[in-house]
Amino acid sequence: MKRQWYAAPYALWMLLFTLVPLLFVAYYAFTDGSGGFSTDNILRIFQPGYLPVLLDSLRLSLYCTLICLLIGYPTAYFLASRDFSENKMLVVLILLPMWMNFLLRTYAMMTILENNGLINMLLEKLGLDKVQFIGTEGAVLLGMVYNFLPFMVLPVYTALKKLDARVIEAAEDLGANPLRVITRVIVPQSIPGVISGVTMVFMPAVTTFAITRLLSNGMIYLMGDMIEEFFITVNNRNAGSALSLVMLALVLISTLLLRLVNPDTREGRA
Amino acid sequence: MVQDTRLIEIKDVCKSFGDTEVLHHINLYIRKCEFVTLLGPSGCGKTTLLRLLGGFETPTSGQILFDGADVAQVPPYKRRINTVFQKYALFSHLNVYDNIAFGLNLKNPEALGAKSRSEKKEEIRRRVERMLKLVKMEGFEKRSVDSLSGGQQQRIAIARALVNEPEVLLLDEPLGALDLKLRKEMQVELKSMQQQLGITFVYVTHDQEEALTMSDNVAVMNHGRILQIGEPKKIYDEPKSAFVADFIGESNIIPGVMLEDDLVEMLGVKFPCVDEGFGENEPVDVVVRPEDVMIVGTDVGMLTGTVESVIFKGVHYEMMIDIGPMRWKVHSTTMQPAGSRVGLTVVPYNIHIMRKEA
Repeated sequence: MKRQWYAAPYALWMLLFTLVPLLFVAYYAFTDGSGGFSTDNILRIFQPGYLPVLLDSLRLSLYCTLICLLIGYPTAYFLASRDFSENKMLVVLILLPMWMNFLLRTYAMMTILENNGLINMLLEKLGLDKVQFIGTEGAVLLGMVYNFLPFMVLPVYTALKKLDARVIEAAEDLGANPLRVITRVIVPQSIPGVISGVTMVFMPAVTTFAITRLLSNGMIYLMGDMIEEFFITVNNRNAGSALSLVMLALVLISTLLLRLVNPDTREGRA
Repeated sequence: MVQDTRLIEIKDVCKSFGDTEVLHHINLYIRKCEFVTLLGPSGCGKTTLLRLLGGFETPTSGQILFDGADVAQVPPYKRRINTVFQKYALFSHLNVYDNIAFGLNLKNPEALGAKSRSEKKEEIRRRVERMLKLVKMEGFEKRSVDSLSGGQQQRIAIARALVNEPEVLLLDEPLGALDLKLRKEMQVELKSMQQQLGITFVYVTHDQEEALTMSDNVAVMNHGRILQIGEPKKIYDEPKSAFVADFIGESNIIPGVMLEDDLVEMLGVKFPCVDEGFGENEPVDVVVRPEDVMIVGTDVGMLTGTVESVIFKGVHYEMMIDIGPMRWKVHSTTMQPAGSRVGLTVVPYNIHIMRKEA
């Protein structure tokens, strides 16, 4: 048997559960309820009431990516540093949440933030006023960052870990003080890791849906929620498919943009 | 030319990693414009000694003086020393030009004799181009370093260090990854660069031939100690110990007994020699270089043996000759067929007597 046949089960899986559904999505997106060709559903995104939701999705996912980068990079740097490289336990602790279902993680976050949740119980005990967390943008953002942070830490950690100690010594040798070593060698050399971290956080963040519902009680409404509503509540497959396709295009465009700034995929590099 | 001023002095330096002591009481001075090689087998501590000079390690005890000032605690980026690393350690995110310009970019404009940023940029361009010419890599400015061959990367690593005009250049087995022909070429080029620029070179290698070819002085190291320091010829001709003799060139090492001044007994035969000052009947190691053994007729030889094997080595033949208790390696331009009986003789000044190593 030729070796390429070993990939057959995966190819079949992809065909059945990715390619075929994608064709369905594309079909529904460009047809109306009666099956005739129509671009109305695609253009729906430009109608009032839709664009703000899209912009909110983009804004929140950008915030989330930025916060993940600001927290994740130093964390990865710390984990990859020589003093802690022996300590695999810390890496496991960072990755531990990744092994749990994201809904469970979000429910956990909900029980902490709820009106009768952990924080508010504590505030009550201390004789302070309760704070309304659920429904705020902050709560949703917290949930997103909590869920997606490991996806930033891991690729950056891997990139920093690969960095040759001799290269850092070479920079010191050529006159770079500790700060210059970071800005001129460590950060530039970890850019490919940062790019894949940004990709891995931004993609799921921009299509978030369950997190918003659990942590905002539907007060905050993003593209993911809108698509879900069209499919489940309104039962309008055409509109849901069209919006899904718009999101897919958005994700593809941002991947391409990130590829342009990634030195590893630029021309002239192996 | 090598000057008499001592640029670097290493005084009684010890270095331990945890419980293992890798350098034991090292004493060494390096003069201005000198080419010094630290030679020894892997694990002898030569690289650690080099890293102490570069500032990447600090000595456990002892002093490292640079122009008379103790630099043991000075970080690498404040030293007037640059290093060519073993596997080059080039910056893969920068092209050839930016790799070489890295050190200069970090300097103040004034340090480069420039009054403004644009003047600095111009000065850097001039210096980088001069360096590329020196290492024969003109036209490679925009190339990514990953696209270069080992030899080319090596040249860029040398240029990146030399462009900063250091007082001392440290080289850690810089030619180890190159093929034989390229290595020989680079040996000559490095030596001529060193003489041209008048920079002190401290060179680490395990290749004795490389050490002998390029150095003004060689320090032979083993087990964290310097066994002998001296000019290449002196070390080759007058090794102080059997280890040095064996490591620098090939040797036959024979246990013997010093009977009196200028007379040694080995393999049951008395050999006249030129060594004095040993105790009477003191056990010694006798070193005889393969090229110093003369093959003569069995009737006139001091020893007789049977040729076991013959290998053609280009200029000479290398023969293993069985002389009963041991085998000798002999180099000769005339070939004796395997199996033939030969006589062997060694003239007195080619017999080197070593004290037994403790």
